[in-house]
Amino acid sequence: MANEPILCLAGITKRFGPLTAVNQIDLDIHDGEFFTVVGPSGSGKTTLLRMLAGMEQPSAGDILLRGNRINDIPANRRPTCMVFQSLALFPHRSVGQNIEFSLKMKGIDGAERRRRCEQLLEQLRLPLDYYSKSVTQCSGGERQRVALARALAFDPEILFFDEPLSAIDYRLRKTLEKELKDIHRETGKTFVYITHSLEEAMVMSDRIGILDRGRLIQVGTPDEIYNHPANKFVSQFMGEVNMIEVSIEADGRLVSQDLPMALAGPDTGIANAHGYLVIRPESMRFLGSGEEADNRVEGKLYNIYSLGSRIQYQVRVGEQVFLVEKLREQRFHGELDDIVAIGWDRHDSIVVSD
Amino acid sequence: MPALRAWLKQSGPLCAAPISVLLLLGFAAPLAVVVGYSLMPPNTFDFAHLPTIENFVSIVRDSYYRSFLWAFGLAVLTVVILLVLCYPLAYGIAKLFGRWSMLLTLVLVIPLFVSENIRLFGWVLFLIKGGVLLGALQTWFGVELGGLLYSVPAIVFGLVYVYLPFMLFPLVLGVSMVSSEVTEAAGDLGANRWQIFTQIELPLAMPGVLIGSLLTFVLALGSLAEAKILGGQAVIMIADDIETAFTFSQNWPLGSALAVLLLLLVGGLVLYVLSRLDLDAILGRR
Amino acid sequence: MARRSTGIIRRLLAVWAGCVVVFMYLPVACVTLASFSRNRYFRFPIPNYDTKWYERAFSSLSVQELFQTSLSIALLVTVISVVLAFFGALAFARFQWRGRKLYQRIILLPIFFPQAVLGLALLLWYSSLGIIPDWRTAVFAHLVWIVPIATLVISIQAYSFDAALEEAAFDLGASRWQVLWEVTMPILWPGVFSGALFSFLLSWGNFPLSMFTTGADQTIPEWLYAKMVAGYTPLVPTLGALTTLGAATLLLGGYAVIVLLRRLRS
Repeated sequence: MANEPILCLAGITKRFGPLTAVNQIDLDIHDGEFFTVVGPSGSGKTTLLRMLAGMEQPSAGDILLRGNRINDIPANRRPTCMVFQSLALFPHRSVGQNIEFSLKMKGIDGAERRRRCEQLLEQLRLPLDYYSKSVTQCSGGERQRVALARALAFDPEILFFDEPLSAIDYRLRKTLEKELKDIHRETGKTFVYITHSLEEAMVMSDRIGILDRGRLIQVGTPDEIYNHPANKFVSQFMGEVNMIEVSIEADGRLVSQDLPMALAGPDTGIANAHGYLVIRPESMRFLGSGEEADNRVEGKLYNIYSLGSRIQYQVRVGEQVFLVEKLREQRFHGELDDIVAIGWDRHDSIVVSD
Repeated sequence: MPALRAWLKQSGPLCAAPISVLLLLGFAAPLAVVVGYSLMPPNTFDFAHLPTIENFVSIVRDSYYRSFLWAFGLAVLTVVILLVLCYPLAYGIAKLFGRWSMLLTLVLVIPLFVSENIRLFGWVLFLIKGGVLLGALQTWFGVELGGLLYSVPAIVFGLVYVYLPFMLFPLVLGVSMVSSEVTEAAGDLGANRWQIFTQIELPLAMPGVLIGSLLTFVLALGSLAEAKILGGQAVIMIADDIETAFTFSQNWPLGSALAVLLLLLVGGLVLYVLSRLDLDAILGRR
Repeated sequence: MARRSTGIIRRLLAVWAGCVVVFMYLPVACVTLASFSRNRYFRFPIPNYDTKWYERAFSSLSVQELFQTSLSIALLVTVISVVLAFFGALAFARFQWRGRKLYQRIILLPIFFPQAVLGLALLLWYSSLGIIPDWRTAVFAHLVWIVPIATLVISIQAYSFDAALEEAAFDLGASRWQVLWEVTMPILWPGVFSGALFSFLLSWGNFPLSMFTTGADQTIPEWLYAKMVAGYTPLVPTLGALTTLGAATLLLGGYAVIVLLRRLRS
């Protein structure tokens, strides 16, 4: 995969009256990568995608496709295509007519259109006789594939995805996530995807960009984001983590208001600041008598949650709530309301800013 | 100016332009002419005079307002009667009849497209002396009754008949806005049938009730045919007075003044009620 | 909610619905009955049945002229109304633009309005412009009232229209006209068809507006009214019955067309 940027965003901003939905976004998207923009509802990700696709005009900033400014090129003339959240399949047309639509707009004749359509049906693992089938009779997964085939038909350079999997049930979604990643590999095109689920982004993406209230907070590979979240927002976005509010003293020590003990944390190189100590539940462990860790606390086992292959324990230490995760085979044998000792090592924690 | 031009180039205003021009020329302009004439001296036919409120004075002085009051009273009565008659039916159509609702609606819609003259005439045939009802009663049962037409009840009857669909369909729309889950939840929380009706159903269906009542009221207020065909000379409605002023009396300014009063009432009511309603929510975005 | 009580309510309401249906169609039945009476004046029970008035209706020249006037007006109104209402409905329900709320209320005004007064106002307007009323001025008058109604009908269809469909077509390379032709119109056509049907029938049966704006020409409803008030002939119920039959046929036929086409498509 070449690392040249195919799409450059420089200072992209969108204002709706007094409201700034997208605020000064600078981003390079590489040729052929699967890039996902992740953010909660209202973070501006849909607006951003629509600007890239040509449905909205930026209030400020430039969008460059292979070095050419495309701000003023309308959506129907950009070499890009969008898969909508509702899929937007034409209900009055058959599967084949949907897929061929862009080719028909270009003026390509019927025989050629059909040939290309059958190619796509095969690539997307749809039966050939679906050509004349009505889209309203297709299942959820099939409709997704038809929408994808339709977007691929005129061979766009970039495909945009507007949360297409958000309204689907869990099992189907998991299957489609993997299929999408496979198709990305097969076609080699650049995919720009938006979702509110970081978990979904992690499965499919080469790189992820995290959006909070219109600002790009962090861009990196799934591993980078997982191991080094930029701030509290990103950490919390990744799901359930243990977060202890700390102040960093002048000498670099970490002090917490809720835990009356000295915390052994990573070397941050910062002094006189406010932040959060983040520890993953799977890095926490139960300490039996004689067992040691860099940090040790005692609290009450308040609740136990079964998460399939893992078990999660909620331990309350005063005001602070800790989550400890263990694999089912290594379950902790304790009763609710027991007083337990838990701990973690300093290299298993990180400190993030606000 | 450039902002206006940009606004005009959008799809919305562009599409709205043709119909807006039609209404400007065909609705706003004629009404402006009527207002203009109402301020002209009585029995004149052009605008070459100084404005005067003579016509409005004579409405009060010469008791023309009586037709106004009659029309108003009859319209209110019609609305009340229709609300009581139609609400249960609307409830049935929206909630209970299931697959039959579509058919029932179609059956009830068809008469709307038959000229009201024909339908009112049918009632004349039914109610007139020697007509279907009285003739049958006389011939088959030996019961002899006086004429049922040419009275105030006959007019009310006609108004209720003609405007029933105009009350029914908005009510159906209103009742269908009441989600059955909400009423079930209210029942689950201990409300009895009457309380559910007054606290939950009626408030939620209120947009439909308002539209139906408004439509029926306005149309009945300005109605002409019912009073004339079924009522004879029993009651003169305001529309009748207006027509007479324009045609027999050849007094355009007076007719215009009467029309202006009607317009003020109707326009004020309609704009007030419509401004309190969210039309998108009622008509479709569900 | 006890099931038994809902069942009783349902049955009562069904009876009530039946009563209302009978109530609505009773006058129509009377008119149809009267059209078969041989006698010049109506009396019930009908002494002699005959279809001679139907023969008279079909052969009479004046009836044919009335029919032609009504038909011309209705056809012209339908064609113009559909075009204006289609775009008007797009502005009403489909596009977001400043002033839309105000526009919605203004469109509804001619519907919430006494037709007789509108007719008279138009008459005044025509005379102050020096226009002599005839069937064409009646077309204009009908349009003022009917186009808003057709707009409403099409809007109701347009509300359930997914805007993303047009955007998708645009994104796939269609020009604005192609979007209209390939996506918007095919999906909205049932609404447009209903709008056309309503326009035709409402114009065909209209009386208050026609009364004041047709001038020397006369539509069927005008003629019926004139004869009802003075100069009654059994042609009145005959024409009335025929008109009703025509309206019912058109409506049921139109509804059947929509249902059939929808079923063919899926």
